[in-house]
Amino acid sequence: MANYYDIQDILMQDETVSTVFLHKANGAGFLDPSSEDNNVARGSVVDLPLWLAQDLVQRQILHIKLPSCFNARVRKEVQADPACVDLHSKCPFYYEMGCKLVELSVDPTLGPFLLTTLQGRYKDLLCKALTATLSGNLKFLPHLTEEETRLFEAGRDSVKAFKKWRLQGPRIEKAAILGRKRNRDATPIWS
Amino acid sequence: MFGRSAALLVRELTTDDHHLRRFNYDLFDKVISEIQEHFQQVTTIMEKMQGENEDGQISSADENYNGALIHHQSILRNKRCLLAYMYHRANRLQRLRWQLGAVLPEDVKELLHPSEKEFVKSYSEALSSYMTKLDIDLAVDITPPKDPYIQVRVLNNIGEVLLGDQSTSLVRNSIHFVKRSEAETLISQGLLEEFTG
Repeated sequence: MANYYDIQDILMQDETVSTVFLHKANGAGFLDPSSEDNNVARGSVVDLPLWLAQDLVQRQILHIKLPSCFNARVRKEVQADPACVDLHSKCPFYYEMGCKLVELSVDPTLGPFLLTTLQGRYKDLLCKALTATLSGNLKFLPHLTEEETRLFEAGRDSVKAFKKWRLQGPRIEKAAILGRKRNRDATPIWS
Repeated sequence: MFGRSAALLVRELTTDDHHLRRFNYDLFDKVISEIQEHFQQVTTIMEKMQGENEDGQISSADENYNGALIHHQSILRNKRCLLAYMYHRANRLQRLRWQLGAVLPEDVKELLHPSEKEFVKSYSEALSSYMTKLDIDLAVDITPPKDPYIQVRVLNNIGEVLLGDQSTSLVRNSIHFVKRSEAETLISQGLLEEFTG
């Protein structure tokens, strides 16, 4: 299990999945807007966030349907050219969520599919991260998932750090938190 | 419900990695009241369960149990979000102590929750007492400098400051040759900048 305080993990578990209740649950009417008596009936289809669904699946109270971002159409798209697919709009935590669903054994073919997807996208991502200039054309950035964005930024930062090391810039810098304020009240020299 | 507001609270942490936002009292209290609401629901379900048990209706016990479980999970989730929010803020405050020294700037202070101010104070005290015991300033740059002295340019009128064993008047835009270890805190506070040129 990921770190209890991990922000990414917490936000990832907020993604919703569509689920089917296998048993009735009393007193949980807030989950299902169509229920009339504050109960969730057996067989009702409800969108639940992953943190709730995962525990209930383990207790076999409900069944998770495979989310549409992992369906056959998306898989075909990814097979055609992994690097061009806009995964962020499908699900910002594509891989993490996929891994969770594999753990809950929603679909046995999901694991290998995720691996090939990342492999297909990784090389392209790395090339772009190491060559992209600061003001450069970053049209593909919104297509990346959260995980890939972090990879991309790590790559770009290391290039920046390398350049700074080569040029021997100043080592000590002002704490970042003070940055905003100083810009505001700085007076020009000639005033 | 659904832990939406708790997620919003956590999301606030991701928007900006270095800056601290004002402590979000409204959202924080909202999440707590949600937890209380869930707790209320669990209690009513439990009471109902007990009543039904006495009546001999065991068939719906599972159904009640499922409902209670959902509320219980919601409470746990909300708790996790609240704790993560406090934890990451505390982490950031710790980092600030290392960068800025014992005194936090006023504009940062007003962003904090009273308990966080308390935390900063105790943390800072613990750290300083540890450093006095060791007799080493641990907050300085860990890479050994090539030269113990550096040139700095003053960015703001500061006035008389005791540097080393003599007092120096730091006037705006003047350039000084000072001990690196003494200049470091002033640089990270944004009062000086390293002069390379």
